[in-house]
Amino acid sequence: MTFLFLLFPSLIAAALAASIRPYRALVGWVNALLSLAALGAAVKFADHAARGGAAPVFGPGELLRADGLSALMMVCVAAVASLVLFLSPGFGRESQYSPSQLRRYQFFINLFIFSMLLTVSANNVGVMWIAIEATTIFSAMLIPLTLTKSSVEASWKYILICSVGIALAFAGTVLGYFDFVTLSGRAENALNWPVLLASAPSLHPEVMKLAFVFLLVGYGTKAGIAPMHTWLPDAHSEAPTPLSATMSGVLLAVALYAVLRWKVVVDATLGGGYTNKLLIALGLLSLVVASFSIVLSRNYKRMLAYSSIEHTGLMCIGLALGPLGVFAAMLHLVNHTAAKSMTFLLAGRVLHRYHTTQIKGVSGLLKTMPGTAGMLAAGLLATIGLPPFGLFISEFALIRAGFATGRPWLMGAVLILLAVAFVAVIGHLNRMLYGAPPEGVAVGEKGGRSLALLSLNVAALVTLGLTLPAPFENLLNQIVRIVSR
Amino acid sequence: MNSHDTFFAQLSTLGASVTLLFGVVLLWRRSLGAYIGAFRWQSLVLSAVFALVGYYGHDHELYVVAVVLLALKVFIIPRYLKRLYQRVGGEREAQPYVNIATSLIVAGLLVMLAYAITRPLVMVSKLPTRGGIPLAVGLIFVGLFVIVSRRKALTQIVGFLVLENGIALLAALCTYGIPLIIELGVFLDVLMGFLVMQVIVYHIRDTFESIDVEQLNQLKH
Amino acid sequence: MTGYLLEIGQALLALLLAPGLVGFIRWLKARLQGRRGAMPWQPYYDLRKLFGKEVVMSKNASWLFRFAPYVIFATAVAVTLLVPLVAAPLPFDAVGDLLAVVYLLLLGTFFLALAGLDPGTAFGGMGASREVTVAAIAEPTIALAIFGLAVGAGSTNLGRIVAQTLSNPGAVINPGHLLGFTALFVVMIAETGRLPVDNPSTHLELTMIHEAMILEYSGRYLALIEWAAALKLLIFFSLLSNLFLPWGVATTLTPGALGVAVIALVVKLAALAVIVALLETRIAKLRLFRVPELLGVSFVLALLSVTSSFLLR
Repeated sequence: MTFLFLLFPSLIAAALAASIRPYRALVGWVNALLSLAALGAAVKFADHAARGGAAPVFGPGELLRADGLSALMMVCVAAVASLVLFLSPGFGRESQYSPSQLRRYQFFINLFIFSMLLTVSANNVGVMWIAIEATTIFSAMLIPLTLTKSSVEASWKYILICSVGIALAFAGTVLGYFDFVTLSGRAENALNWPVLLASAPSLHPEVMKLAFVFLLVGYGTKAGIAPMHTWLPDAHSEAPTPLSATMSGVLLAVALYAVLRWKVVVDATLGGGYTNKLLIALGLLSLVVASFSIVLSRNYKRMLAYSSIEHTGLMCIGLALGPLGVFAAMLHLVNHTAAKSMTFLLAGRVLHRYHTTQIKGVSGLLKTMPGTAGMLAAGLLATIGLPPFGLFISEFALIRAGFATGRPWLMGAVLILLAVAFVAVIGHLNRMLYGAPPEGVAVGEKGGRSLALLSLNVAALVTLGLTLPAPFENLLNQIVRIVSR
Repeated sequence: MNSHDTFFAQLSTLGASVTLLFGVVLLWRRSLGAYIGAFRWQSLVLSAVFALVGYYGHDHELYVVAVVLLALKVFIIPRYLKRLYQRVGGEREAQPYVNIATSLIVAGLLVMLAYAITRPLVMVSKLPTRGGIPLAVGLIFVGLFVIVSRRKALTQIVGFLVLENGIALLAALCTYGIPLIIELGVFLDVLMGFLVMQVIVYHIRDTFESIDVEQLNQLKH
Repeated sequence: MTGYLLEIGQALLALLLAPGLVGFIRWLKARLQGRRGAMPWQPYYDLRKLFGKEVVMSKNASWLFRFAPYVIFATAVAVTLLVPLVAAPLPFDAVGDLLAVVYLLLLGTFFLALAGLDPGTAFGGMGASREVTVAAIAEPTIALAIFGLAVGAGSTNLGRIVAQTLSNPGAVINPGHLLGFTALFVVMIAETGRLPVDNPSTHLELTMIHEAMILEYSGRYLALIEWAAALKLLIFFSLLSNLFLPWGVATTLTPGALGVAVIALVVKLAALAVIVALLETRIAKLRLFRVPELLGVSFVLALLSVTSSFLLR
């Protein structure tokens, strides 16, 4: 029942956007309020899981299931969705988008949110695949909201590379199903995750190795793991700001969730070594690519996108470092979601004021938009892992997990790369904050509503940086239990 | 394996080979219209393979899959492709990133690679259709190679569709298809993905005046 | 003893049938194009005429120019001794197999190219360079295509391949089989200088390959070369038909079986002639730079046929 509260609001919101023409601001308000219902449902699931309750299931053939991992992801997705919908363009004040663009925006973003929620609540890996492909399709329709050469190029690369990646992930799913079928014959519920997990120890190692390669490459493309990341900087920088925030904040995490689900199954067949090696290799590569790209960045939105790649790489490495690493990676996921979504939305405000995405075109932020500047500084410093923000704690936990599992050299490399990114981001931030503002840029902060909402993110980050609330810790422990059996 | 099974094995492998050959046509011909034709024929043969597997595997759901595949990939999608081709003008793949003779040799090598990679699968499987599994994976690789080595956006779309065909063939040959609901969902996703790609190609045509992806180089560091 | 007599008889049969085959194809094409055309046995008259004529040679030509036609003719005849035209297995099988056939064919092509270069004319050089471009891709494809069958038969001996296919009829729809057939068909078109690779009846610079190399020849040399070209056509046709569809080939050396084999051979040759004539009438000649692409496709088909036969044993 709660599942309906989770999934239906976004469908209703999309239907509303499609049916009301011309677009009215009321649609925006209603959709934002509907998203709160989904958030409520997600929190309920998380609470239930944190208490150690059995995972509720729903639907024909146990279509939907909400264990601890799903619940955490649901909360992240729903929270960012609400934030983004409340801060979407077109709430009455003048907006740079036309009514038909706004209608399209509301329609597709709600479908996008629906497909993400379906991905994390699906019990059947086939349905999970269908939902992830749907996220690609819906977000690709939104990237070229304003038709420019760059946005069209970005959307083409995005849909082509991600669709190919997802198709390869499907091939991996077929191979996993093949192994199950060869062993136990065909069954309707064979693609249900608990069933796969139960039969995993008796599956054939060679086949599962091949399947995992396809799956990692496929879902990894969507998660922004190097070397399949080439679409990411383009898509995240050219998309409209709320979409960038959602994509960087949660979509990458959702794709990583898919990889994690399959990792658990493959680990039950092969033991952890094989998948860990692959994840560490690709994670490290992502870190290298991202850190050096941040140094070379000239566009602040692309810089943020590369930072997302860096954090995805960190999470991959974390997932490969045993139970401590999984705890750290999941904590990092939550922190990153909070920080990145906030930073992108703030970057959108900067863009709206300065009309350029070049770093050298932005200066004197502290004078023109003091509130935004302060929060942007907070967001960027959080992203690079400065205390008292949560990412410091999660990165520390990750390093500790690395040393605990006997990989000191790897952790050394990780620290160096993080330091490189740290220095680069601070350099870019300074260039943007200080100095004299360019002419033609209005001074003074407008629209305090968004800042008020985003301060919630800051509060969350600081809270997680100072303490770890008990229910949250319980939830994370549940997840570790699910992942490392 | 009795002779009944052997005949089934031969036919299914034959179907898989023909499907792969139509995929190789994408690397051989230059005209975009030829690609659309090759894709249509390939999808026709693929739906025949599904029907064949449904007949010999005694699984009637596969007949449904074959019909849906036929409707979708032989009629609906090619119709949109043709319309797209007419609207974005008669461009030809005159200078692909990898020339045609080399592409053909690479295709042969990719199929041999597929044979090497899928040895564990063929050894594990007990189905009569297992001979075609390497060909399906080879088709996947060929589809990937088409996307990477060709310059026109339309060719890349057809390469993606061929990749999807390869995966469907893999599903048919190694597990006699996947559960019907999932299969239908997959088809729906492919259709929607194709429609979105099509929309974006129109955008490309409008903003760049050509569908040559070499032009898409605005976004660099 | 009878085996060796049979071999020689086979070679004589080939020599006898070859010009008729070429004439038949020409006659068919004419009829398809709405003309009356010369009689199918016109080439015999042409050969007789040419053998009676005087040889006119360029002053720049060397001994190679006089020597080459004999080599070309001899290699073609030698191949007819190794190919299972009417019976398999044959006594000469111990001497030659698939690889010997390929090498002999290539030897003939090599000398033809040299002969084209020898007089130092522009056309000859051009024809020779085009011919070796085609041969470079076509020859390995022949080897691969037949090798695909050889893997199934466990030997590269052509007679044994035929025997294997005869004893296992279901293998005909084997993908390896069909791919090999297609590859060999394309190569046959290329090697015998038929459309769409080369036009056998043209003398335009733009379109000549084979004709360009033999432009300087006259008299008995020309007759030998034309006969050798006709023999090559017959060899390829019989390889295509007897390796892939071997029914009719005699496995015992009784007169009855041999008679049936001869009739079967004639029927198969006629069928292939019809197909080739239809193909030549319908398809236009490919531009020269497209020819390697076509041959590349046939190479890939041959590669696939070997791979599938090899790995699906």
